[in-house]
Amino acid sequence: MATIELAALEKTYPGGVRAVDGLSLTIGDGEFFALLGPSGCGKTTLLRTIAGLEEATGGSLSIGEREVTRLAPGQRDVAMVFQDYALFPHMTVLDNIAYPLRIKRVARAARHEKARQTGDGLELAELMARRPAELSGGQQQRVALARAVVAHPSAFLFDEPLSNLDARLRLSARTFLKRLQRELGVTTIFVTHDQAEALAMADRIAVMEAGRIRQVGTPREVFGRPANTFVANFIGSTPMNLLPATVTDHRLLLAAGSLPAPSGLGARREVTVGIRPEYLDFSATAVPDALSGTVGIVEHLGTSSLVTLETDGGPIGVVVPEEAEPAAGSTGWAVPRPGRVLLYDNETGDLLPT
Amino acid sequence: MAGLGTGRAVLFVVPALALIAAFLVFPALWTLYLGVLKYDLAGSNAAAPQFVGLGNYTDALTDPRFANSVLLTLAFVGLSAVLGQNGLGFLLAATLRRAVGWVRMLVNGLVLLSWILPGTVVVFLWQALLDRNGGTLNALLDTPGAAWTLDHPLATIVVFNIWRGTAFSMLLYSAALDAVPTSHLETARLYGSGPLRTFRDVVLPRIRGHILTNTLLITLWTFNDFTPYMLTGGGPEHRSETLPVYVYRMSIEGGQLGFGSAISLIMLVINLVIALFYLRLLRRRGG
Amino acid sequence: MSEPQRVDPGNRAVRRILGDAVVRHALSRIGLYVFAGVMLVFFALPLLWLVLTPFSRTPAYQITAPSFTLHNFRVLLDNPFALRSIGNSLILAGGTAVLAVVFAGTAAYALSRVRLPGRDALLYAILLLSSIVTGTAAMVPIFLMLFQLNMIDNRLALVLVLTGGLLPSAMFILKDFMDSVPKSYEESARVFGASPLQILRHVVAPVVRPGLATIAVWAIVQVWGNFLLPYILLHDQNKQPAAVIMYTFYDEGGTPNFALISTFSLLYSVPVVVAYLIVNRRYGFRFQGGIKG
Repeated sequence: MATIELAALEKTYPGGVRAVDGLSLTIGDGEFFALLGPSGCGKTTLLRTIAGLEEATGGSLSIGEREVTRLAPGQRDVAMVFQDYALFPHMTVLDNIAYPLRIKRVARAARHEKARQTGDGLELAELMARRPAELSGGQQQRVALARAVVAHPSAFLFDEPLSNLDARLRLSARTFLKRLQRELGVTTIFVTHDQAEALAMADRIAVMEAGRIRQVGTPREVFGRPANTFVANFIGSTPMNLLPATVTDHRLLLAAGSLPAPSGLGARREVTVGIRPEYLDFSATAVPDALSGTVGIVEHLGTSSLVTLETDGGPIGVVVPEEAEPAAGSTGWAVPRPGRVLLYDNETGDLLPT
Repeated sequence: MAGLGTGRAVLFVVPALALIAAFLVFPALWTLYLGVLKYDLAGSNAAAPQFVGLGNYTDALTDPRFANSVLLTLAFVGLSAVLGQNGLGFLLAATLRRAVGWVRMLVNGLVLLSWILPGTVVVFLWQALLDRNGGTLNALLDTPGAAWTLDHPLATIVVFNIWRGTAFSMLLYSAALDAVPTSHLETARLYGSGPLRTFRDVVLPRIRGHILTNTLLITLWTFNDFTPYMLTGGGPEHRSETLPVYVYRMSIEGGQLGFGSAISLIMLVINLVIALFYLRLLRRRGG
Repeated sequence: MSEPQRVDPGNRAVRRILGDAVVRHALSRIGLYVFAGVMLVFFALPLLWLVLTPFSRTPAYQITAPSFTLHNFRVLLDNPFALRSIGNSLILAGGTAVLAVVFAGTAAYALSRVRLPGRDALLYAILLLSSIVTGTAAMVPIFLMLFQLNMIDNRLALVLVLTGGLLPSAMFILKDFMDSVPKSYEESARVFGASPLQILRHVVAPVVRPGLATIAVWAIVQVWGNFLLPYILLHDQNKQPAAVIMYTFYDEGGTPNFALISTFSLLYSVPVVVAYLIVNRRYGFRFQGGIKG
């Protein structure tokens, strides 16, 4: 059990590429923490730097009370689950799980006993004599987890733990992983490129871009109030509507209509309005304070549909409950829910305080 | 780096590189030096080798026995490897795939066997086959007393080498032909192309690289093959004395180490040319 | 082009084409099996002697109708040099295989994992070198080197020479195997605290075992059949391997001792055939471009 503290941590490759650009971050004891970002944003490099597989070129890192910046990976007391699980193909499930104990020179009988116990807890009891190649993807993942658990580390590091599973399995594995982390209470950092995964599992999320953190917050915070247009764009299964607007006295003027403006924005200026499709209500009749357009494509999402309104200012997405689905070609109005209209600075892309 | 550490990485590489340096690099360089000496295994030139410059090379180039040896080697390599092994290997690979299972297995097995048996053994088997009195060949052809190795020494080592080495070409061409996509062959058939046309338009372009690879490799091996010595000893009257045999007889048997080195260097240069050709090919296909 | 009878022309054309195809097919089948038959005779003929003569009551160049006996094997067992030379071959082949696997394995691992500038060029250069500096082209300097170092008749020296010649190809092939081992295996072990040597022993070596086995068998087969190097570097009959000792199985008049040579040939051949069958069965025939070089 440990907090993990990054202070101005930096990883620059010999070629000059800054994969981790001076990050400071504290991850609390027992926290389930997600590093989220598009590929190439440095999230995996950061995880590997924490594990010690990459050497930090600047800053410091401590796990628990210990400063570990210069320690070898084996001395950091962390366990890592790799994207491909890295199960040793020539060893049985039992030997794979027992491997960390073998390195710690635990006697054969004792480490097998311990591995068996851990495996039982992860529903692997029947599979102990098999080799990794004889297991399904989900089983392999559980073996990799068991191998991490048996090491009793102060932190878990998971690199894209769900990406090798098929879509259906991924959902149940999500629940499983979250429960396991809750039960063990071990500080856990996991890397993912899938925002839905991060939102579903993590206590807190760090959204990364180009080696920097763009926002740290709870899933609710990063979804509901993205700190900048990058995060706004990246989070959410349907992309946030980002529309150019002009602020006048008490009004936001958009090409598709006008909305009431929050106070305190000052004089006339150009901003970007951000509204999630989920936070827009659809109306088939004209209403005030709404954006209007022609109903274009309707995509079915199950219990709801994503309706694209073609407006003068470009398309606007609205999530509509299945019973209220409009006909294509009709005119529709999109009404923002109170407090859900976000304004971003056009220059910096940062959220404007409202 | 990457967990191994540069120091340990060096430690891991050094033994291999040391052996390579001692037994491949050094001999090659030394050949260069020995080639300009008059250096004999015994006699006055053993204790104090004498510098003769390019003397050994001019001696070699004016020695009719050397010229004879070069011509014989050319014929040996050209007939037995480039034409013989290459052609027969391809023919076997291309035709046997259409034969029923047991015939294919039997012929494949025998061809492979002639490749993997120890050289000393197969040489004796061929002596038994070709012996003028009790030999199987004479018994079969009803030509008692025909002395194949004496009357036709070049033909003997050529046929022997085809028998000995065809397996490699056969295996390589089999693998190459397996890699020709069935869909391509079927497309050709759909357009009504006959077997020869299909071969020319579909198969040949895909295996051209393999043909070149195979030809270069078997050329290199046949050029350096010492087995002819074991079969005919280079004779009679130097009529099967290929370059390796010539070098052996001049330097190890005859003790003329300097002269032998000069010839060895010529061989090394020929090897280099073939190998460079081959590596360029590998590289181009690799990336 | 008159049409004598009222036959449906389309039908006739079809029949002709079909008939041609059947004939062509049959001809190509016959051609195929004639060719297969000729090949069968060509490749089997020299091998007959090896199979029949060891069991013949009158071993000679001539292949005789089987008159089964095991007497020739008695001659083989009684010869002091025969079995010893097989032992010598085992020592040379085994020693070379062990050194080649260990040295090529560690070197290939390091070269695969550590990025050195010019690494690929180095590998290509030594591969090139090994195809150029063949036993035949380098026999003079190698003979002279060991002669001057007083190492003629030294089996360890011969093993080192043989290993040196096999290492480049072995390294090249093994590096391919090492490259194919996912790095995550090693990293996973490192995070658990395994040392580099533990990683090599516990993880890398077992995973590339097929590659190591391939190299070992390949080295054994290469050395087992090698004639020239032991012939010029080992003069003591007690140390000579099987490939060389066969040339001493002649009497003073130059007549071969057929009983001895035939049984010895068989004994000497069996291990390579077995090795080949094992490799073929366990790993399939992995086609490696330089497997015989």
